Amino acid sequence: MGELAADKHVEYILSVEKRKDSFESVVMDHLRMNGVYWGLTTLDLLGKLNAVNADEVILWIMKCQHESGGFAGNIGHDPHILYTLSAVQVLVLFNKLDVLDIDNVATYITRLQNEDGSFSGDKWGEVDTRFSYIAICCLSILRCLDKINVEKAVNYILSCKNLDGGFGCTPSGESHAGQIFCCVGALAITGSLHHVDKDLLGWWLCERQVKSGGLNGRPEKLPDVCYSWWVLSSLIMIDRVHWIDNEKLVKFILDCQDVENGGISDRPDDAVDVFHTYFGVAGLSLLKYPGLKAIDPAYALPVDVINGIFFSR
Amino acid sequence: MDLLNQLEAILESDPLIDEVGFIHPSQFVILSKECGESGDSSEDGAFGPRNTKFWNRDHKLGISTEVLLPLCKAAKSAFMDAMKQYKTLSSLLDNKHEDENITNGSLSCQSFASEVMKHSRALLLLSCDFGTAWNSRKLVVSKKQQLSIFMDELLLSALVLSYSPKSEQAWSHRRWVIKMIAGKYSTLQEIIAKESELVEKIAERSKMNYRAWNHRCWLVSYMTREQMLHELKKSRDWAGLHVADNSCFHYCRRLMLGISEISCCKQEGDNSSYDVENYQVVKEELDLSEVLIKRYVGREALWLHRRFLTLLTIRHLTTKHGISCHFEQKTSMDNEINIFLDNESCLLDYCSTIQDTEFEDFKAQAMHSAIYFLWLITQIPQFREIELQVKLKAGNLKTILQNTCPERFFLSDFSDLNGSF
Repeated sequence: MGELAADKHVEYILSVEKRKDSFESVVMDHLRMNGVYWGLTTLDLLGKLNAVNADEVILWIMKCQHESGGFAGNIGHDPHILYTLSAVQVLVLFNKLDVLDIDNVATYITRLQNEDGSFSGDKWGEVDTRFSYIAICCLSILRCLDKINVEKAVNYILSCKNLDGGFGCTPSGESHAGQIFCCVGALAITGSLHHVDKDLLGWWLCERQVKSGGLNGRPEKLPDVCYSWWVLSSLIMIDRVHWIDNEKLVKFILDCQDVENGGISDRPDDAVDVFHTYFGVAGLSLLKYPGLKAIDPAYALPVDVINGIFFSR
Repeated sequence: MDLLNQLEAILESDPLIDEVGFIHPSQFVILSKECGESGDSSEDGAFGPRNTKFWNRDHKLGISTEVLLPLCKAAKSAFMDAMKQYKTLSSLLDNKHEDENITNGSLSCQSFASEVMKHSRALLLLSCDFGTAWNSRKLVVSKKQQLSIFMDELLLSALVLSYSPKSEQAWSHRRWVIKMIAGKYSTLQEIIAKESELVEKIAERSKMNYRAWNHRCWLVSYMTREQMLHELKKSRDWAGLHVADNSCFHYCRRLMLGISEISCCKQEGDNSSYDVENYQVVKEELDLSEVLIKRYVGREALWLHRRFLTLLTIRHLTTKHGISCHFEQKTSMDNEINIFLDNESCLLDYCSTIQDTEFEDFKAQAMHSAIYFLWLITQIPQFREIELQVKLKAGNLKTILQNTCPERFFLSDFSDLNGSF
């Protein structure tokens, strides 16, 4: 089996931060906040968060905040719940939540909860279980989960459960590993996992592993490294991780590396990007690959960071 | 800035553009040659054969990959400026109640609004997930509230989806438009039907496109029972031609659930006739499922769909007989369930014979059939109780699993719940 080219990946991530003048990176401008989260969390898992100038990053993050309390993906863009979570997560990585007016951020999120318990992404009203996870995860990190109607939020998520045991983005949406991660994560954080039929869901999830050892996100699809996170963390949260072949998955992820230039791609021999680099490393961490910090499957942040939030105040 | 003006001029002059592509500069030469040197058409004008940055003919637009970066930057910059000015003026006007300058103010506002629309359109063609640009259009459009303007938004997002069929923002924008239209204009049913067709068209080129099919599932809540039945028939046919497309099968499942839900809610009329019709629908799906499974060997999506159909069937059988204490009723129900399981047993026997090992498909078929049957007897309570059937099958199932997918063998441990095997 190959090895994790940790140093190369660190170099790759640091180079992406600087490379801002190509068409490909310009069209990703709007989600730079997500990119920062993926890049910096990966660095932290590899023990190299100190390679980055924290103050610079934090300064930039705060410029992305709106008076409504929400964060945008980049300076001058509109706020959205997606970028709000990433912003909070990065601040937590640096242990700098104190720069925030927590009430302000919390209010932005609570205002996005709808009558039926669901969450909109922003004031324009698109609903998705991803946003439910984001709201719950974010407010939990900020330690004010009680500001939303948790019961209704949980009931809405449960209404998105399908007969195959999986979850979609809205009621009656197709089961998708990414949506399942969000729903299971939200249920885990709110202590509501007893509502999940773990055998039924575990069954659906373990069927995501294909012959090559990689995981796909839905039936009949090709394996993709990002599902190493979403399927794997879901299985861990419902205590069924032994239902897939862990060794084969490790091999698959390692095969997706570009060992010369750094970075990880969706499947072997494709082009790399920060998104898949993060999910590959995070997946390896869940699989207890040596040399990596442990990552929390529900919060998607290093365990020591999460412990810092809940145990040292 | 000049590049941006050129692009925006083309978009203005040709509102019927239905296809956009980013083309390598060398291909412009080929394109020019193909359409000949007849550059006398005044529409093509400066964008005819000599132009190596833009190409516009027959309502198609080509943009040279060379100019994408500067064009994108210019569009973004122009858009952000226009947006800032529009928002500032717009909120100033909102705050003023009476002012003699309000007419001039609102005229300026109108002109900033058009700038926002013009620049956002150019920007979104280049960077289709630029959420702030879509939002600005929602802001402008929601102040105008005219059907034709809403329809224009559907045109723009359809154009974007033609080359970026997975664009989350584009699909989300369509839903916003439809929600704005719903209840205000009588054309809703027509629009829903057209949306459904659009998804089908896009799904043809973009297989298992989660966002596209999710959009179609979303439309179902606006459909009447007749529409749902019609959609189911169409989708069933489409699925038969795309047997690996799990998303289409999910859409069929969504429709079936919608049909049975809507029937339950109807107060007037004969509920039992709806039940009969709904069960007929499930039976037809089951029959078709068996045909496809036997024809397209080893297709996962087909077997997963069958799990759902079986669940629905059992649901129907148990509710038909009701929560009844009558011995005859329960025996009758048990009989029907037994017969059903018998049939699935036959299907398992048929499919688990590995005819040859030249291709993987027969092996896959055996594996899928074994896991399907195992799933039935462990996940469906009514089957768990049928010990005799299960006993007879158990040994056989374990063998098939061992031969076809030893990594899934552990799933057969479920059947040891009773400890009888």
